[in-house]
Amino acid sequence: MTDSLDSNLQNILQQAKDAIAASEKPAQLEELRVNYLGKKGELTNQLKQIGSLPHEERPKFGDKVNAVKQEVAQLLNHKKAELDAIVLAAALAAEKIDVTLPGRGISTGGIHPVSRTMQRIEDIFVAMGFGIATGPEIEDDFHNFEALNIPPEHPARAMHDTFYVKTESGDVAIEDGSEGSHLLRTHTSPVQARYMLSEKPPINIIAPGRVYRCDSDVTHTPMFHQVEGLMVDEGISFADLKGVLTHFLQQFFETDLKIRLRPSYFPFTEPSAEVDISCVFCGDDHGEPQGCRICKHTGWIEVLGSGMVHPEVFKHVGIDSEKYTGFAFGLGVERLTMLRYGVTDLRLFFDNDLTFLEQFK
Amino acid sequence: MIISEQWLRDWVRVDLSAQEIADHLTNAGLEVDGVEVVAGPIDKLVIGKVLTVEKHPDADRLNCTTVDIGTEVLNIVCGAANVRQDLMVAVATVGAKLPNGLKIKKAKVRGIESMGMLCSASELGLEESSAGLIELDADAEIGQRVDEYLALDDHLIDIDLTPNRGDCLSVQGIAREMKVLADGSYHPLDIQPIESTTDDTIEVKLDDSTNCPRYLGRVIKDINQNATTPLWMQERLRRSGVRPISPVVDITNYVMIELGQPMHAFDLAKLNEKIVIRQSKVGEKITLLDETEATLDGETLVIADSKAPVAIAGVMGGLDSSIDDSTTDIVLEAAHFTRKSASGKARRYGLHTDSSFRFERGVDPQLPPQAIERATELVLEICGGSAGPVVEQTNQNGLNSKPAVEIRLSRLVSLLGMPLDESEVGDILNRIADSVVGDNGVWQFIPPSYRFDIEREADLVEEVARVKGYDNIPTALPRIAPRSIAASEDRISARQVRQAFVARDYREAITYSFIDPSVHQRFSDEAPVELANPLADNMAVMRTSLLPGLMGALQFNANRQHDRIRFFEIGASYHKDGDAFIEQQKLAGVVTGSAQTTQWGIAKPQKLDFFDIKADLEAVLALTGHKNPIIFNEFEHIALHPGQCSSLVRQESNGNLVTIGYLGRLHPSIEKQYGVDNVYAFEINLDVALDAQLPAFEAVSRFPSIKRDLSVLISEELAVANVLDSLRDELGDALIKVELFDVYRGQGVADGLKSISLSLVLQHSDRTMTDEDATSLMGDALSLLETKWSATLRS
Repeated sequence: MTDSLDSNLQNILQQAKDAIAASEKPAQLEELRVNYLGKKGELTNQLKQIGSLPHEERPKFGDKVNAVKQEVAQLLNHKKAELDAIVLAAALAAEKIDVTLPGRGISTGGIHPVSRTMQRIEDIFVAMGFGIATGPEIEDDFHNFEALNIPPEHPARAMHDTFYVKTESGDVAIEDGSEGSHLLRTHTSPVQARYMLSEKPPINIIAPGRVYRCDSDVTHTPMFHQVEGLMVDEGISFADLKGVLTHFLQQFFETDLKIRLRPSYFPFTEPSAEVDISCVFCGDDHGEPQGCRICKHTGWIEVLGSGMVHPEVFKHVGIDSEKYTGFAFGLGVERLTMLRYGVTDLRLFFDNDLTFLEQFK
Repeated sequence: MIISEQWLRDWVRVDLSAQEIADHLTNAGLEVDGVEVVAGPIDKLVIGKVLTVEKHPDADRLNCTTVDIGTEVLNIVCGAANVRQDLMVAVATVGAKLPNGLKIKKAKVRGIESMGMLCSASELGLEESSAGLIELDADAEIGQRVDEYLALDDHLIDIDLTPNRGDCLSVQGIAREMKVLADGSYHPLDIQPIESTTDDTIEVKLDDSTNCPRYLGRVIKDINQNATTPLWMQERLRRSGVRPISPVVDITNYVMIELGQPMHAFDLAKLNEKIVIRQSKVGEKITLLDETEATLDGETLVIADSKAPVAIAGVMGGLDSSIDDSTTDIVLEAAHFTRKSASGKARRYGLHTDSSFRFERGVDPQLPPQAIERATELVLEICGGSAGPVVEQTNQNGLNSKPAVEIRLSRLVSLLGMPLDESEVGDILNRIADSVVGDNGVWQFIPPSYRFDIEREADLVEEVARVKGYDNIPTALPRIAPRSIAASEDRISARQVRQAFVARDYREAITYSFIDPSVHQRFSDEAPVELANPLADNMAVMRTSLLPGLMGALQFNANRQHDRIRFFEIGASYHKDGDAFIEQQKLAGVVTGSAQTTQWGIAKPQKLDFFDIKADLEAVLALTGHKNPIIFNEFEHIALHPGQCSSLVRQESNGNLVTIGYLGRLHPSIEKQYGVDNVYAFEINLDVALDAQLPAFEAVSRFPSIKRDLSVLISEELAVANVLDSLRDELGDALIKVELFDVYRGQGVADGLKSISLSLVLQHSDRTMTDEDATSLMGDALSLLETKWSATLRS
């Protein structure tokens, strides 16, 4: 009796194995699970026949059936995992994309290279503890010239090519220095005068902005940008000026460049200095320039003007020049932009040609 | 100023090359723009004398000459028209190499043997082009090297002088500077008074001795009308950038370049009686040497005779009194005109001359006596004649020496930030001036009469620093006083705005502040600030809006095949307020092209419309933290489409409404003028728009919310914003968000109506929003819409 049941059990197991192996879809496996292991399944039926066996054989047969059930269940699970993996693989294969197709949505624009440079300049000086000041672009003669020790008819005015504006009363105040004449500021230096008239030392500011000169050719645009710097306190020296400018220029160009100061003349500083940097285009690893077209084979590039605040300027703004000393400098933003990014034509900055602007983010 | 190296070396001996001299000057603040070689040494180029000239048998324009070069007589074929017997010429013999690269070889010219070449000035590198042979002086020595004779081994040093250094506008001045800088040995000219050989004088009447504290005049009679300027002088003038004209004029120019004293010469015969130095009378006229007529303004110093002005003092002489070929008697002028009297005159009359350039910057008042003697010496030497005595009128008060300037070693040390040696400073000061008295680290320095730039201690600090060399000043970093540099949260920065626009695919432009008045009119009816001296008509007024400039930029790119252009700019606009001026910081933008770029997977990029730009502005201004950053209201603007134009309004914390800008589509007529289509423009006043609100924390509700949708039909005329506002008022805090997700017109919606679909998010802060609560609130919402806006629920 048990023999025939045993062999029957083995047959069922064999059939189940064959059927599972032959399955191709998860649904077929589910059907097999019901057929063999379900409430009315064949193996469940086998268990039901346990009653026909003698008492002593029942546990042993029960164990056998359960063992077969377990084996079938395991086979089903394995097969299921196998088929699921195949289905998933097929789905993944079907969902494959070409990752090289372009992305969709909006791209980004960009800020103007002059703004970019202006922001860098501001960041470097702000990190050094400088504040930012501003002043009007339509200036009066006093702040643009007189307060800066450039009295009417001073030869330095000829270097400034000033734009004058008409006043409401109709007088064309083009005569330099005439009372109340207004002009487009020729430099950011009037902010110095304005700031010192309203604030007392210690002063350490920069003043960025637009400036204007009545001049237009390959190397001049009638509008350009400057950043003025001013530091006034007790004991500020020419050596400090050298230190601050060296730090700034090395930070700006991110290289260990050398700077050279040459005596020059600005009516509002004394001593005055033009500042050259060792050429950033032909400098070797030690900042030692080799000579190239851009530095005209001199190894030096002029980048800004500077000096110690003139006692006459201090007098105009009511600061005691015996107690306080200070330095000032003015740098051209377009010039620094050209040197930093290798732009060769100044006029490109104001054409607003997208082909040019798109080179800057 | 261009200066000849050889001429300079006559004045100062330094063991330096031309380039080293240039470096010294540059490092001392006399910036050298360039050093140019004149010609350099040329071998086998010698002085010869033309012995015979015969026509070439086979060529009309050629001559066969014999030339004596001392060691031999050469047969040379020559094509120059001015070749003639006894002419002293520069002979390039076989083997010579000229500056232009030409090598001289033995040659046959149309069958006649030629053993060299007779040279022109251009062939020697002296001129750009020449008409004939360079004619050497008759007393030139046959056989001498021409490079020696003409000092061809010379450099031209081009110095860009700053306006404070008028004292360096001469060979003497640069020589003095080299003495100071390189401690060179200085050899000034030994100028001796010339004895007069005639008693002839002219009366000099100094009416304005304030502006002209010193005037020297001297008559020289019977000069040789046929005299010519010697070649060496012509050469020096040419190398200094001055064109030789005639002997007397050349001599006055020569003395000016040599000593720095501008001079003038009158034709004595053309002067009436005397010389008067006075102020001009209003309306007086004078015809000047350049043949222009100037009408004088009543405050110009002139040199006049008894009848009329004969020169604008220190600027230019008059034509009627000038020297010409028939002049035999001259009056030499050497005068001191003050800087004040000279300044601005050149500009006022549009006459920028070498003379005015120098007087404006200051000429040494001690120079006229030396200059007049030097010029006399040269006139007598070159033109002959007999000199009368010098007539001098001087106002000593105007020539007093300058007050002493005190300089302290302690000040030098603190201002330069470096230790300095007292004896070294004393030595430097003594090189600059003769009158220096020092004791205990304090010096009294009397500035030389030619140094107008030394008036105070700071000027001497610079002198010491530049002679010592700026390179020798150390580098230090100042202790910077701590200060509050963090920006206030009351405002967002322009930089944040820039970045936000960049993130939304805008590109920043920078356009000129001055624009074309006719373009201005398209965008504004405000009277703009006008420039008195614009560079061009299309840059004549200051912008009151950034749009004209931006439209220029848009058009520039539209004309260059860009079809999607999105520009913004941040900058000032300029306005008049009576006689005062106001500047406002503005943010403006112009946008055209499709709303998105053409992309795969999107059927067709949508045409840009008002709401695309509105979204950009809302997103950027949301950075201010205002709950409701902008309110949009219908608006009119002359440059914008009347049906697609909105004002941008900000509600301030006190409830006030402030207009901060506008947005709209460009008026089709303006689009047409620019040849563009569908352009949207906006402009915002940043002074107000950047005001920000600090985030204020509100408790976060932990209770679930319910979202309900609602579609209603309302009149086409209604502004949806008003409808939404009333809903917010009605439902209060329970309505945490209302979104409009569809606006529909067309089939199923009657004419004059539109369907709007809203999505409402409802939430309580203290309890769960139940279905019943939500239904009740939606009922309230619907009845409000029905009663207030005559809305009907869309089925």
